[in-house]
Amino acid sequence: MDAGAKLGHSRANVLGSTSTLGTALPFLVLLLVGIGFPLFGGGYWGVIATRACVYWVLVSGLNLVVGFAGQIAIGWVALLTLGAYTTSVLAAGNVTPAFPPYLALAIAATVGAVFGLIIGLPALRLRTFYFAITTLGFATIVTQVALAWQSVTGGGVGVPGPIFPEPFFSQWGFYYFCFGLAAICTWMTANLANSRFGRALTAIRDAEVAAEASGISKPALLVSVFLFSGATAAVAGGLFAALQSYITPDAFTLDLSVLFFIAILIGGRGSILGPLLGTVLLTVLPELAAPLVAWSTFLYAVLLLVIVLAIPGGIAEILDFKNRRPLASGRAIIPRPDLIKQLFNPARSANTLKVEHLAMSFGGVKAIDDLDLEIRPGQVHGLIGPNGSGKTTILNVISGYYAQQHGAVRLNGAALPALARHQRARLKIARTFQTPRIVGSASVLQNVMIGGTIDGEGTFVESLLSLPRHRRDEAMLRATAMLALATVGLDGLAMVRADRLQHSELRFTEIARALMLRPAFLLLDEPAAGLTAEEIERLGALLLAIAQAGTGVLVVEHHPDLIFDICHHVTVLNLGRLLAAGTPAEIRSHREVVNAYLGG
Amino acid sequence: MSITRRQALGSAGAAIAASSLAKPAIAANEPIRVGYLPALTGPSSSTGIGINRGIQLAVQEINAAGGINGRQIELITRDTQSDPTKAVNGAAELSHGQNVSVVFGPVNSGESLAVVPLLARTNTPQVHPCWVDTLTDPQKYPMCFRNAPTNQQIGAAANRYVVEVLKRKKVAVISDTTGYGTASVNAYVPMLQAKSAEVVYQGNVDAANPDLKPELLRMQSAGAEAIMPWSVNAGFLSRIINTRGNMGWDVPIVGQTTLGSGQTKALLEKPEYWAKVYPNNFRNVCYGAGGKLPERTAAFVDRLKNAKIDMGDTLLWWIALGYDSPRMIAEAMKAVGPEPQKIVSYLNKLKEFPGVYGDITFSPDQHNGYPDEEVVMVEANSLKDGAFNLAPGYSS
Amino acid sequence: MVESIVSTGVAIGCIYALIGITYNVMFSASRVFSFTAGTLGMLGGVLGSLFIAQMGVPLVAGFLLVLAAGALFGIITEIVAVRPVLKSLDQHLYVLSTLALALLAQQFTAIEWGTESRPFPRLFDIARGGFDQQFWMPMLACAAVIIGLELLYRYTLVGRAFLAIAEDTYAARALGLPERSLRMASFALAGVIGALAGFAGGEMLLAFFGNAPILTFYGFVPVALGGMGNNRGAVVAGVLLGLFQQAANFLVGGIFASVAVFTVFIIVLLVRPEGLAGASLQRRV
Repeated sequence: MDAGAKLGHSRANVLGSTSTLGTALPFLVLLLVGIGFPLFGGGYWGVIATRACVYWVLVSGLNLVVGFAGQIAIGWVALLTLGAYTTSVLAAGNVTPAFPPYLALAIAATVGAVFGLIIGLPALRLRTFYFAITTLGFATIVTQVALAWQSVTGGGVGVPGPIFPEPFFSQWGFYYFCFGLAAICTWMTANLANSRFGRALTAIRDAEVAAEASGISKPALLVSVFLFSGATAAVAGGLFAALQSYITPDAFTLDLSVLFFIAILIGGRGSILGPLLGTVLLTVLPELAAPLVAWSTFLYAVLLLVIVLAIPGGIAEILDFKNRRPLASGRAIIPRPDLIKQLFNPARSANTLKVEHLAMSFGGVKAIDDLDLEIRPGQVHGLIGPNGSGKTTILNVISGYYAQQHGAVRLNGAALPALARHQRARLKIARTFQTPRIVGSASVLQNVMIGGTIDGEGTFVESLLSLPRHRRDEAMLRATAMLALATVGLDGLAMVRADRLQHSELRFTEIARALMLRPAFLLLDEPAAGLTAEEIERLGALLLAIAQAGTGVLVVEHHPDLIFDICHHVTVLNLGRLLAAGTPAEIRSHREVVNAYLGG
Repeated sequence: MSITRRQALGSAGAAIAASSLAKPAIAANEPIRVGYLPALTGPSSSTGIGINRGIQLAVQEINAAGGINGRQIELITRDTQSDPTKAVNGAAELSHGQNVSVVFGPVNSGESLAVVPLLARTNTPQVHPCWVDTLTDPQKYPMCFRNAPTNQQIGAAANRYVVEVLKRKKVAVISDTTGYGTASVNAYVPMLQAKSAEVVYQGNVDAANPDLKPELLRMQSAGAEAIMPWSVNAGFLSRIINTRGNMGWDVPIVGQTTLGSGQTKALLEKPEYWAKVYPNNFRNVCYGAGGKLPERTAAFVDRLKNAKIDMGDTLLWWIALGYDSPRMIAEAMKAVGPEPQKIVSYLNKLKEFPGVYGDITFSPDQHNGYPDEEVVMVEANSLKDGAFNLAPGYSS
Repeated sequence: MVESIVSTGVAIGCIYALIGITYNVMFSASRVFSFTAGTLGMLGGVLGSLFIAQMGVPLVAGFLLVLAAGALFGIITEIVAVRPVLKSLDQHLYVLSTLALALLAQQFTAIEWGTESRPFPRLFDIARGGFDQQFWMPMLACAAVIIGLELLYRYTLVGRAFLAIAEDTYAARALGLPERSLRMASFALAGVIGALAGFAGGEMLLAFFGNAPILTFYGFVPVALGGMGNNRGAVVAGVLLGLFQQAANFLVGGIFASVAVFTVFIIVLLVRPEGLAGASLQRRV
């Protein structure tokens, strides 16, 4: 491995290890406090602490749904109810023979997983607000069923909760049981947060189109998350029932659901520590003063409003010290095109990407009218034309975001399926966007690592448990991403939160993300917009080097200089139709092009 | 329930740990802490509000008279807000954090269902006035006592009145979705059927439901001849009464004592709707022949009037129950001191404690202290100062 | 029984439809669904009971006060919960801010007004007949709002400005329309409609803080089924919802009725996410 790669690798390791220690410290502190709690907390605070642990078991899973995937699941108390009743009824033995409580809890987890999926699946079809309302509906339904199904749930009378045998029977014993489960959930979700799945979730949340372009399949990922989240919620329900020692349907109020939801948002989305502290805070707050009990939900709502309006990043943002350090001003982006050879394999097969007789209309407007285009590997193909000429539309059709009415896009002769945008990544077709689509709250490095999500081999469960294959994936993605960042010249900003970057830096970040795929074809949508002249030059050199490594590059652009400098072939569009096509020299002197577009 | 060694060690350890954090020595004039878990707010708060007036008066009187052997009673209140979860939190705080000698309450069955096992595990003596049958069990909960009637006692009186006195055979039983409501319906339907009555309608309805017409229409088309509602929610009960009136349906309403409370009355659309409504109540707090209250009760009412305690918007027996409870506990503590086990053994031998609303008797096998024969049915619209006349046709 | 189902069903359906229209008016002005629509309905009933029954304010004055309070709450919603988040890139924040505001209002009501439902005053001293005022008031209110909105949109400048903002904010801004004032006015109008719904429906639903979550859900169903921004669809869907709910109440009882309503809602929504009469997605990339 050459010096550059080694640099990338070791730098990634150093950055990795110091940041791991930094992020692990608060958790270690909490772990020690939790283990030693019985020494200084009395019996009453023990109940509160146990309650906080139980709530956190639920919230840690819900955090993945709300904080990471960005789904507004407000009615998750439905699963708490389900888990509580399942565990209690099975353990009590009124309907079935009495199960041992641990088995009952495990069965409840399975039931919870299934129902988590049922409640969560509408998220794939419905808009945000609609989904939020349906989760509220589910919460009501589960309570109504609990009330109505008297023969099993006892209806309004309720059922006694499960009783766990020694050593978890006494108050502190049970506390340690819940604390242990809470610690395990923290560990698992933290592992997931630092895995390709966690990053993919944040990508779906904040930059869905970019996630799709990187090959991330929203349905598959959400299914896993809902299963996990449903299971933890149900386990929390079983623990809740044991803590209460008796459950009735009216214990599962919407206020509780709101508490869970708000704890995550107060804590900050995309964080594990934040929602953990948020949950503890919201559990403890009403206990600090008797009048607070009545006003507790009011207070939660005030906190939520304040967070949303003033500190959308929540507690996590407040605690994010390293991102308060000022960045150097006058930073320059200096790509290193020579590093491309390390990213890309030397032997590249000869692919072809052709657009044939493409036609696409929006309503009555013909956006593309009978267009032919070919992107050859090893070459840079420029696509220019006035606004509204259909340039971005073509890019969107090729990358699978729009479906054409006529014609086809063929990769190596085979027609690409329309609208299958998240399959393009597997076909090694990468793209960037007109407005950079990045996950603002994640670091630059994490954003770039999102680009390589589909290269990972470990499964969701392996990531949860931090098994070897997950760790190998992480190391590989990290090293590759550092290399990609070094290639585009942004490795110095790897650990910085992406929303602190300048516009031009974001554009190069997108390119680094696209490079993670080692694309056979790279489609760029106005990559030079907003760049300085110097940066445009460096961009040009970079794109040329990428092409020379064997990639077929399509650049949609407004800057004629960039196009004429680096393109091997140029296509000019006007009103969706081909105006002219040829080498830069031919185009530059083409009369109609000059009239319609270039001027002078 | 047998206490394992580990539990005993565990609770002893916790007690030592807790007491080591509390004040070092309990001096002779330190107040005696009594825990109190009423529902003062929320949908099931009518009972709690009424009881509260009695308790506050009793504790004031006891403390003014020198307290218990020189020590004042400190009433530590935790409003459960009619919510079982908050009741559990409150009970945990009272038994662990506040180190109370005894807990009175909760006053609603739904909350007690969760709290009774919890207080049993912390070995805290408990006295409560909830009606659901399973809330006392001398074997499972040896430190828990009930100084009010059970659902069985109440149901027996009400069902007897409907079937034998009013001679109605087809009955509609309705309640809300709380623990108390559900348990009551489950208990009373078989009792009615055992009396050869036909239960043509039985249902649990969400108490917040503003429109009960569908339910009453279903009762009517099933041929019900009497409606028996069992709920402590004044809004819910008033809506049943109002709907019956609006429909012009002439059937008696016989059921829960809250049917007669001032809160229910305030929500009636027309005063005449309150006719033919027969809630259950207790002989000692009702006007007997000649329109007079029993002596003890009359004296009590005078005391209430002197203390300017309002009786018009609640029920006298709630206030009386609230008044009796701390006095009973105080008597126990005066005799044997505030030690939990001693209080329990005293109560186990209690014979006819002279309460205003009833004479309470316990034994080691019987922790339901209220006598059967004191439960009666009354006429709701005879309400005066929180007390009623006995229902017509009711043999005294 | 059928007569009861129809009268109650249509009346309550009109209330749901009005809340749906409240959602729609807010949505047209801002492309945002606000959780406060149901809260407005609740406030209409609670404030009506507070002013007229408790404080003894005369009927007309009390009614106008309630509408004014609704408008005020609508404006507060716009300023506090909608305007700040429209500027941010994260579109979903509005769900949270309006949820927070709705919760604030609900909890405040629960604490100050009480958690028990209280009766709503009988407004007109007419005896209860077959067609009682609790039935025709919501229907009247619904008809008035539909006609009023129609007249507003078609014949007044302000109304047409509202439509312009709803169609295309950028074009409207380019034409010099004061976007912010129009949005505030839209939210005030939505506040009036929501409060009217609660007031007209007060006798049926009682003055109860718990009406807020009920109306939030049941008021949204007409929007979801009728199509976003489609007021006529909302009315049709609302009345159908009311009838269905009442029929279920009578036939199978309260608990199963709400399960039935919800199941139908979810199935329809999953089959046609844009609603039975709605438009499809827009350009994202």
